[in-house]
Amino acid sequence: MKLIINDEIKTLAVTTVSSLLTVLEQPDKGIAIAVNQAIISRKNWDDFQLSENDQVTLFQAIAGG
Amino acid sequence: MEKLSDQEYMRYSSHLLLEDVGEQGQLALRNAKVLIVGVGGLGAPVALYLASAGVGRLYLADDDHVELSNLQRQIIFSQRQLKQEKVSAAKASLTQLNPHIEVTAFAQRLTPKSANNEMLEVFEQVDLVIDCTDNMQTRQTINKLCVMHKIPLIVGAGIRMEGQLISFNAQESDSACYHCLYPFNETTDVNNCGTSGVLGPLVGVIGSLQALEAIKCLTGMPVSSFNRLMRFDGKTLQWQNFSVIKDPECSVCSAN
Repeated sequence: MKLIINDEIKTLAVTTVSSLLTVLEQPDKGIAIAVNQAIISRKNWDDFQLSENDQVTLFQAIAGG
Repeated sequence: MEKLSDQEYMRYSSHLLLEDVGEQGQLALRNAKVLIVGVGGLGAPVALYLASAGVGRLYLADDDHVELSNLQRQIIFSQRQLKQEKVSAAKASLTQLNPHIEVTAFAQRLTPKSANNEMLEVFEQVDLVIDCTDNMQTRQTINKLCVMHKIPLIVGAGIRMEGQLISFNAQESDSACYHCLYPFNETTDVNNCGTSGVLGPLVGVIGSLQALEAIKCLTGMPVSSFNRLMRFDGKTLQWQNFSVIKDPECSVCSAN
């Protein structure tokens, strides 16, 4: 499936947000994920189905100040 | 009817010219009580702007002392305040800036355990809390207390060249909370600005926006950062924004 991940177009064999993290070998600690500018609650990562051309943003929580 | 003094009319004339603020808005600022947790790179501009805007009662909480390396970005402090308690030094600066306001200083760290001391009483009194802290654990504690006491919360964070801003209004039953967005007590990035580095104006941008959102909240203007996470990239000047919705199973705001 074609996805836009942090502004880069990638074609990956994934279905859910969790499967995307596995394929990207992205440790899930301390991160947040948005699909089409909406944050996906961590509890829904296993169930949330990605669709062709979804814009996915992966980023770290930051706590500095 | 409550009125502004002649001195206040002159001092706040630029607010009074704004339709969205006016005398009623200025009186709302004068009557407001705001807690700022963390007086560092974010807390400095927040405290300076809210004091100069005439927010009547400011409560500052921080257990640190002013260090030389703070002066690169924590613009409320000056060289002669080195080694002083941050909250005392900040109080002195703010009182000099605006004699019409009252500043209360708490030289203590807000921890889950300190949550039953005098800091807790402050959460019972304030209209708004501004999170300017430097660690996830304190951020989660602040969020819990704001949810418990139904206090609006404006959260800022900044490190290196990146900033984040989001606000929550626990008075609205469908509001998300900080824990809905980040349901964990630690970040992978355990470093703080002192070890990871940060540009002064980066925290200045985020802190200024926190102050802007605070003034809007206190004067009854719509607060566009409620349930909306803004990310700022200081390198490219690009902004991203994301909607955040309440997690119906959130252990903080949906627990009952």
